[in-house]
Amino acid sequence: MSPGSTVLSYPITERTLDNGLRVIVSSDHGAPSVAVNLWYDVGSRHEQPGRTGFAHLFEHVMFQGSAHVPSGQHIALMQAAGASVNATTWFDRTNYFEALPSGGLDLALWLEADRLGTLLDALTQENLDNQREVVKEEKRQRYDNVPYGDVMERLIGLTFPADHPYGHTTIGSMDDLNAATVADVAQFFSTHYLPNNAVLSIVGDVTPEVAFAKAEQYFGHLPAGPVPPKPQMPALPPLSGLPRMETSADVPADAVYLTWRLPARDQFSFDAIDLAFSILGQGQTSRLHKQLVRRREIAEASGASTMGLIGGNSFGFVYGRARDGVPPEAIEEALVQEVERLATEGPTETELRRAKAQFERQWLHELARVDSRADALGEYATLEDNPNLVNTRIAVVDAIDTEAIAEAVSQWFSPDQRATLIYRQEQV
Amino acid sequence: MTAFPPQPAIDPAGHWEFPTPVTSRLDNGLEVIVYQLPGQHVIASHLILDTPLNAEARELEGVATITARTLDEGTLLHGGDEFAELLETEGAGLGVDVSLAGLQAVLDVPVTRLDRALELFAEAVIQPAFADEDVNRHVQLRLAQIEQAQANSAQAATIAFRRTIFDAESRASRMNAGEPETVAQVTPEAVRSFHRDHFGPVGAKLVMAGDFADDPAALAERVFGGWQNPGQRIDPIQPAAAADRRRLIIDRPGAVQADIRLGGFGIDRTDPRWADISVASYAMGGAFLSRLNAVLREEKGYTYGVRMSFAPMTVGGSFAVQGSFRTDVVGDALAQARSLLSVAGSPFTQQEVDDAVAYVVGVSPLRYATADGVADQAATQILADLGQDYVTRNLEELRAVTPESATRAYESLVNPDDLSLVIVGDAASLADPVRKAGFEDVEIERAG
Repeated sequence: MSPGSTVLSYPITERTLDNGLRVIVSSDHGAPSVAVNLWYDVGSRHEQPGRTGFAHLFEHVMFQGSAHVPSGQHIALMQAAGASVNATTWFDRTNYFEALPSGGLDLALWLEADRLGTLLDALTQENLDNQREVVKEEKRQRYDNVPYGDVMERLIGLTFPADHPYGHTTIGSMDDLNAATVADVAQFFSTHYLPNNAVLSIVGDVTPEVAFAKAEQYFGHLPAGPVPPKPQMPALPPLSGLPRMETSADVPADAVYLTWRLPARDQFSFDAIDLAFSILGQGQTSRLHKQLVRRREIAEASGASTMGLIGGNSFGFVYGRARDGVPPEAIEEALVQEVERLATEGPTETELRRAKAQFERQWLHELARVDSRADALGEYATLEDNPNLVNTRIAVVDAIDTEAIAEAVSQWFSPDQRATLIYRQEQV
Repeated sequence: MTAFPPQPAIDPAGHWEFPTPVTSRLDNGLEVIVYQLPGQHVIASHLILDTPLNAEARELEGVATITARTLDEGTLLHGGDEFAELLETEGAGLGVDVSLAGLQAVLDVPVTRLDRALELFAEAVIQPAFADEDVNRHVQLRLAQIEQAQANSAQAATIAFRRTIFDAESRASRMNAGEPETVAQVTPEAVRSFHRDHFGPVGAKLVMAGDFADDPAALAERVFGGWQNPGQRIDPIQPAAAADRRRLIIDRPGAVQADIRLGGFGIDRTDPRWADISVASYAMGGAFLSRLNAVLREEKGYTYGVRMSFAPMTVGGSFAVQGSFRTDVVGDALAQARSLLSVAGSPFTQQEVDDAVAYVVGVSPLRYATADGVADQAATQILADLGQDYVTRNLEELRAVTPESATRAYESLVNPDDLSLVIVGDAASLADPVRKAGFEDVEIERAG
């Protein structure tokens, strides 16, 4: 380990109930609170053709009541118990979570178990229609009515084939949302919402014995079902042929995005490339910021991010937003130059040390809260079958050297493996 | 399969209090406030200057923000890129926060690297280089940031709302980081002079929170003890004043949604009605099944979410109902909101009060369980002059709220017939329905 690195030792205990539900407990008595987090192994990559956006729409329906819980009452009962409560859907997952005073742990587990056991008892056309409208408003608010709101959709489209499980966004299309039926909801629920397709994490002011007993009490009677086969997603090779797209809209500045197919998130090479992206585009001392924003003053913002995914490939992109009067071609050229330089020269030892130190702070910061710790345990158990990575990730990343980065970059992150999106200001 | 267990009861919450700090004062006047928080590996350090934004010259508004943003662009000891490289190599993150009440520089760093990082942090605060090109670039980046904000419907609505509800003489009516006309006037000399006049140890506070191996007060003394500024000016805060009621549509032709802000001038945390209005606004527009969200989202499907909140300043404040609604339902949404906002025939109930109090009391331990959660709150308390026991006191006051006191406070502050309104959206489609919803005096403004 590098000098100064933090060694984590969060206690992690795991048991699997007879019905296949994985339960992970991590005690933390620092505050009289507890976090509950359920990861279901279902995301937008599991959606059927013509039903994009469905996993997320379904997540909304999960708050519309179950056999013993009226519509909307899941959140209402939790908030009245002092809980923060929500859910998210992404390419690889849907997670449901609440964090609250530990005296409400039973109620939280009971509510989660009730909808896992009996959602369809309360499902109505009216509930689906209402949440369909809410989700369409969410799509308008977060994507359709904001500048550059369609960038992610376009980048995904450039990076993956249209019929690939990662070839569409989680929010989906209006047409597909309109087409979703009650029968689709029932089918989706029966296929994916099974105790043996989920991980339940409980973190906070509770002992493992008590937490396991409560998990058994509320979830133990739910029947297992046939777990759907994993989507077939063999790793795709890096992009070739320099795919390119240009678009224009009423945005305040021209912008350029370059995107890459990357290895899956559980690969060592992904961690190496993630550090390369950090060196290239994260923070004030990143190469892009220094070159495009600071020295040459051609961009008002720049950056590089990876998005780790588990199904064969991840993806990553770099971007720059042009200062007034700078043509996007100049931004594109500068971005490509810096990617090229990283591929040929590799990072310096200092840059690597800095990227690792930044990773460590962000990692520690993320785990500082019991709710995000519960989420991380569910994430690493569901996607990488190893919740203990929460404690060991700092050492894993610390072991990556400049040679490992050079090798991963040459394989996955060279300029000729990019796709390009030019986003122009509409001429009025 | 066995039967479902019955709905379980909730056990009473365990005892919790906002942590108590250890406070000391350096010889130069800087107060050091330390929160020892076991298990918090990332230390949060806030250097807080109680220089209010009304200390900026009117024609140079934005200078405080440009000053704060240029602090880490090089120091007298480590110029150019070198400073940020040293700081980031320690795994540290440096941020700034500029609010009406004061300025903050914020350092986050793992405790294992605190010593060196805090040295660099002090260097940025005390001896920034303020090179011409760095200041000028931050001015240009701020101007670009304003363009991005104005192009974003929700941000444009928030910006327009503050100039609608606050009197034009009040600093609060304009963006904290400055409007384009004044930002463009900010020069390197103006930044150096703002730093010279306002950055100093007198009245400054250093809040540090986390799991310290050693007492950080000695470290604070070592890196901040030599800080002196005989020319430091002290400026009192000037309270904001309310503007007359106004209703406004800012035109964005073709927008698929309208961003709505409906509200007015409010109160601060020292007002005796603060706990009452916190409860009332939670019941009206804070909870998931609040009166507003239950109808406009869960019943009608008009919006992804609508909320009502009161935003306190040091003196006075504001409140707003806010949300994004698809264009064709805006008229009905406004009419419904206006009717729901009236509690004349439907005072707040004991259940609503109990739920609101349980929520705020329940989320507090986790909200303040992390180093940055505690340090943020401590800084807020300092800038609003609330005292270190504010959170605990506020929870006690919340528990004393009754349906009657919540209703009384609400009715004294919210008159549904006399609220200011800002809508950013497609004016051609919105104007008639908005007038028909009872906002006959609505004016239409071109965007930008």
